[in-house]
Amino acid sequence: MRRVVGVTFLAVIGGAGAVGAQTAPAAVPDAPRSSLLAEAPDLVSAAVAAGLRQDAVCRGKQQDQQTDQSPDRPSRRACDGCPPRSVGKALLEATFIVNGMAEAANLIRGQVTSHITPKTWWANMKQGWVWDLDEFAVNQIGHPYQGNAYFNSGRANGLSFYESAAVAAFGSGTWEYFGETNYASLNDLINTTLGGAALGEMFHRAGWLVRNTHATGGRRRWSEIGATALDPMTGLNRFLTGDASRVTDKPADFVPMSLNGIFSVGALWRGDNTHAVKSAAEPFLEMDLLYGDAWTGRSRTPYEAFAVRLMFGGGAGFSEARVRGRLLGQPFGGERGQFLVVQAYDYQANDAYHYGAQAFNAQVAWTAGRTSGTYVWLSGWGGLTVLGAVDSLPVDLNTRPTETEPPSSDGPGQGIAEGPRDYDYGPGASLGGFVNLMHGPRTLLGFTYDGRHLYSLSGVRANHFLQRARLDLSVPIHRKLGIGVASEYFSRWTAYQDPNHTVKRYHYPQFRVYFTWSVS
Amino acid sequence: MERVVNRPRPALLSGTLLLVWLVPAAAGAQSEPHAAAPPAPSEMSKLWLVVGGASATLRSECNAPANPDSPHTCGQSPYRHSGSLIADIGYRVHDRMDVGAELFWMPTNTSSGHIRVTHVDAVAQFRPWASQGFFLKGGAGLAFLRNWVDAVGPSSIDQKALSVVVGAGWVFRPADRLGLEIFGMQHAGAIGDVQTSEGPIENVMGNFWSVGAAVVIR
Repeated sequence: MRRVVGVTFLAVIGGAGAVGAQTAPAAVPDAPRSSLLAEAPDLVSAAVAAGLRQDAVCRGKQQDQQTDQSPDRPSRRACDGCPPRSVGKALLEATFIVNGMAEAANLIRGQVTSHITPKTWWANMKQGWVWDLDEFAVNQIGHPYQGNAYFNSGRANGLSFYESAAVAAFGSGTWEYFGETNYASLNDLINTTLGGAALGEMFHRAGWLVRNTHATGGRRRWSEIGATALDPMTGLNRFLTGDASRVTDKPADFVPMSLNGIFSVGALWRGDNTHAVKSAAEPFLEMDLLYGDAWTGRSRTPYEAFAVRLMFGGGAGFSEARVRGRLLGQPFGGERGQFLVVQAYDYQANDAYHYGAQAFNAQVAWTAGRTSGTYVWLSGWGGLTVLGAVDSLPVDLNTRPTETEPPSSDGPGQGIAEGPRDYDYGPGASLGGFVNLMHGPRTLLGFTYDGRHLYSLSGVRANHFLQRARLDLSVPIHRKLGIGVASEYFSRWTAYQDPNHTVKRYHYPQFRVYFTWSVS
Repeated sequence: MERVVNRPRPALLSGTLLLVWLVPAAAGAQSEPHAAAPPAPSEMSKLWLVVGGASATLRSECNAPANPDSPHTCGQSPYRHSGSLIADIGYRVHDRMDVGAELFWMPTNTSSGHIRVTHVDAVAQFRPWASQGFFLKGGAGLAFLRNWVDAVGPSSIDQKALSVVVGAGWVFRPADRLGLEIFGMQHAGAIGDVQTSEGPIENVMGNFWSVGAAVVIR
């Protein structure tokens, strides 16, 4: 059942990456959300219920992994099912295979930026880093997805999470300086490296969910092909080395303690800046995946537990992608509390703002009254946004432009963005929290708040403060089927650094009705 | 900012060279006992300390104007060369990875005043091959810019910037308590706006290239 859940869910995730990479940001999509981890209350409570039992298993597993991951084994494999470790091969694959495929794609598409020569390399090196003018989706989805391939060049060759993150940075740097005629872009370096690590580890672990290393013949081949669709670099290496047909155990590191998902299908009604709610309903599909148990036990293995949220529809084709990966977890208060350090990847498109970010959060979670069937689950977090992007609203406009100007025919050539860019870049901070009233594994009532600050360093100079709040009420109907309603409110507060110190506020309500289907 | 010209800092540069020259001698003077019995990685302290100097080049420019109608254009400023100091303090995660905080300080004299830039970054340094000294380094943090140049105005102006650093190098004697590394690094400082006597310059980005050497203490 677990593999079925994994295949279904993660094939969609894989598709979302490909779709997202090609999504034009012109359409005005939809709807605010609350925290991904916070918004998986059923999963959370299930994890809590199983917490102590799983913790003992978890500790044993970690000890096994620490033993297995010694890099000095003569075979260069950390375990029988692990790939052989080769740093040089990882760097070569990131440089030549990933960059080579991207370069070939640009050449086939006739991109002017693909006409690289040693002169363009030297020009890029002399220039240094710049901010680029590419479209929102290209920078916030496309580059992290490319970074996922660099990252998994490392993972496919037996490197650890952090070592593979260094490979992603190396691959991004080589691409920025030597893969395009464009000047090297600082925002691409950050998005590719950090976004690549977040998406890359998620896809890598998703691939291991799909892969059936005990099977043989056609069944085995199709499982390897399915995993390759999610994580091409690992799949390529496994086919080349013959690992794709070797019968072994899966690496213990890639077998999650638990795997759960919630599908929500329904309709939502969006408001506008005057609080009026449009009568037309927008269908949506929202999916949450919780890999592993993020809320209990001590963990130092990155992404041993992570959460993914994807949303389609609700006013846009692809309106949200969120990844929260635990980097470390430390229990306190006799396992009732948990401290986590979390890596965050965000892409959101709604009526209030388009937002994308690479961030790190510190999070504390606590349960109260868990001895009874009904209890309260609460959490708070705060952190730093290394680089975030939010759509620009020029100070003289009251609403976002719905159409962008087509590129001029006498422009610098295909593939070269002319600008002006319609979104701002800068660092910032985030804070948030949730309170859920639980009954057994189900959330009866949940409230989530999410606030983000962004200081624009490139674009329209302003401080942006983005907020959203969501109140959910859900009721089980039959077994895994449930029904819910949600009321949401999100706002955007932008303080411009113009001579008049203009401040503008936008606020939008939203309501939704949905059916849920829980899988585990 | 464009009127600024280069003025090397001979004292700083010579100090850097002296440091580079002295370090191997200091390391060599202590090499015998280590050569006899180098500490096992598990016996080494968790400290990661790096102090050194570099020859650095700075160039700032503005790009990607948010407002295409802005009357102010800055174009490309000249390359400015100077000495710089670098220091890292942190934690040895294992024999191939160190993490910590890095300070990069670069003063530059110009014909119209002087500029000081200080980058404070959280960094990770990774040696892909445990038996080799090659390392990659990356990190991010804040840069603090202090300008006394005429173009900015009669008094100094302090600004903060998003800082990103990438680099590579080679560390000699990586398993010993005292070692030496040579490195090349590039810092970027995304400043945002710079207020000048002629009006604001938008989307200013400073790039700092440095090549140098440092003592490594573990």
